[in-house]
Amino acid sequence: MPDQVSLYAPGNSGLHHLHPLTKLSLAGFALLAGLTLPGRWGTYLLVALFVLPLAAWGGLAGRLGNAVWRIVLPFAVSVFVIQGLFWTGGTPVLQLGPLSVKAEGISFAIASTGRILTVVTAFLLLILSTRPDALMIALTERGLPPTITYIVLATIQIVPRFQARAQTIMDAQQSRGLRLEGSLIQRGRALIPLVVPLVLGSIVDVEQRAMALEARGFSRPGPKTSYLQLVDSQWQSILRAALIVLSVLAVVGRLALLIIP
Amino acid sequence: MIELENVNYRYPASQQPALADITLQIKAGEFVAVVGANGAGKSTLLYALAGFVPHFYGGDFDGRLRVLGHDVAADGPASVVGQVGLVFQDPFNQISGARFTVREEIAFGLENLNVARAQMDERIDRALALAGLEGLGDRSPFALSGGQQQRLALASIVVMEPELLVLDEPTSQLDPVGTRQVFEALDRLTGERGTTIVIAEHKLEWVAAFADRVVVLDDGRIVEDAPPDQALVADETTRPGLGQTRYTRAGRLARQRGLIPADRPLPVTLSQAIEYFS
Amino acid sequence: MNLKRDFNTMTWVLIPLAIAINIAIGQIVYSLKIPVVVAYLDSIGTVLVGVLAGPWAGALTGLLSNLIWGLTGLNVTYAPFAAVAAVIGLLAGLFAEAGWFQKLWKVIVGGLITGLVAAVISAPIAAYVFGGVTGGGTDILVAAFRQMGLDVLGASMAQGVASDPLDKAITFFIVWLIVRALPGRFLARFPRAENVQ
Repeated sequence: MPDQVSLYAPGNSGLHHLHPLTKLSLAGFALLAGLTLPGRWGTYLLVALFVLPLAAWGGLAGRLGNAVWRIVLPFAVSVFVIQGLFWTGGTPVLQLGPLSVKAEGISFAIASTGRILTVVTAFLLLILSTRPDALMIALTERGLPPTITYIVLATIQIVPRFQARAQTIMDAQQSRGLRLEGSLIQRGRALIPLVVPLVLGSIVDVEQRAMALEARGFSRPGPKTSYLQLVDSQWQSILRAALIVLSVLAVVGRLALLIIP
Repeated sequence: MIELENVNYRYPASQQPALADITLQIKAGEFVAVVGANGAGKSTLLYALAGFVPHFYGGDFDGRLRVLGHDVAADGPASVVGQVGLVFQDPFNQISGARFTVREEIAFGLENLNVARAQMDERIDRALALAGLEGLGDRSPFALSGGQQQRLALASIVVMEPELLVLDEPTSQLDPVGTRQVFEALDRLTGERGTTIVIAEHKLEWVAAFADRVVVLDDGRIVEDAPPDQALVADETTRPGLGQTRYTRAGRLARQRGLIPADRPLPVTLSQAIEYFS
Repeated sequence: MNLKRDFNTMTWVLIPLAIAINIAIGQIVYSLKIPVVVAYLDSIGTVLVGVLAGPWAGALTGLLSNLIWGLTGLNVTYAPFAAVAAVIGLLAGLFAEAGWFQKLWKVIVGGLITGLVAAVISAPIAAYVFGGVTGGGTDILVAAFRQMGLDVLGASMAQGVASDPLDKAITFFIVWLIVRALPGRFLARFPRAENVQ
């Protein structure tokens, strides 16, 4: 069982050593720029010229590629097939039996896939290169309540345990004769003896966990120190500010294009 | 350090009082064990000392309760954070889950107390040593054994340097080796730091060996408050559900069979048993 | 509305558990091969928090749940829908506040309404970011709706409206079962115990 559920791929690259907020700003900028660029090919250029080189710098290009392939492919296939074939009132460019491929549909699919690609690669760039706790600490330093940090980090460590527990319950119920195939109704009813014990079994822990946290000062008001320390630098600070400005400009620019005919 | 006077407490929606007319004083540095049958009120008494009863649980509380000068019944656990530590039975529920290594997990309490970063490493090292976890500092808390996790829970509280440590059956899920490690850690605590310890336990042999004083609860009342030699020699008829140490049981059997004179005091610990049977 | 009361330590501990429930159950549903047209069941934890700790706690759970889904790489495509998940938690909390979790038929209706709202809010996100498709089985519906002449946004919304209300009705029902099975003395510890009693 993994200790936590995260895609973080440790490394020693320059990218890895960047402050988490810098990586967040880079990913955020890629995301916003990608979603606000007009035209169909801007997103692909952004991914190829901005996101991929950053990933390569971190030695993560391979992992990124794999994950992108796995995640984006179903969407890409779907959007090309569905919007390509079923575009209302479009210009047919290819006949496939009773259906025809429409130019507008393909054009739309290209733009769409580009956007999905941007969202996914931006996210992946961030999470492959950043330790979850480092990111949360960086955000807490900037004002994110420590309770939110607790939630995020506790969740990613609890999930593997939960999934194991769910598997145990599934096995136990199956050995008691619970059938997991069959009609939709049967499978649906099979859910209750799986879901309810899983939830009930973990809710009883809530009371003790809350007391244990209280005993360690979890809800003590006032400032808190941090054991883990992050390394930052002047140029990163400047870079982050620049990225934020650029992101805002991208959004404003795009909105302006929408409003001004 | 701890004063209870005529304390009564009833959980919400409960007919029976969980604590009835409890009057008790505990001085700094004492190692007090609270024993009794299940449901006798041990956990409730401990939760009260840590401020969780009635604050966290609701219910009806009256009487006088002062812990380290604080009215914890009124002010709750927040008033004694860092001064009173609480350790439970289930190690898994005491690990925050929000930290990825043992050192960071222990540091959690220090972070909440706003302790300066520069002081943390030394305190963490001492907590690791006290709990017998040296060398495990960089492991994930989830990669530890059950006994190690329970000691991590202990270390995470002990690092806050509480004056009073309250433990609710901390060894119930541990094997004998794990149990010994916990008790030895507690012994180090009282010895080195003068920490006051109040522990609820079923494992009477350990209580007999380590506690200065045993408080016996029955149906929410204190029925005995004496050193182990005296408190733990009661038999099943007078204290049903309390149990006895195996040495007492053996000694009683020997006495009943006429093998040992009836006026020799029953043993409670191993060393006493050796004397008793020689 | 007392935010401080809603967000006590029990709530803070419940939320990670609720998110883990969302994820674990989502996996079970997938492995049981329940067609996604019928149920995703990825919001049980979110709704549970809404009921036990109020609308804002529910909203926070939904928001973080989807962001964590993205952050952990388990399903990056959930992240853009964080706002929708927040609305689900919010609505669940509001319905619970209004006493709708005390009668079964209201539970179902509450779920249907929540699913409807979720479908309507998701559609623009799905249309803009994901080209109006889900990459899964429900895309057959999208194709059908497109064939009928609905535009990208319309087809996305129609697909959502066809599948989300049922999913959320089932979700609300399961949460109702769960809270009814919890002992009263334990429920009392949560900020919004009155929603269920």
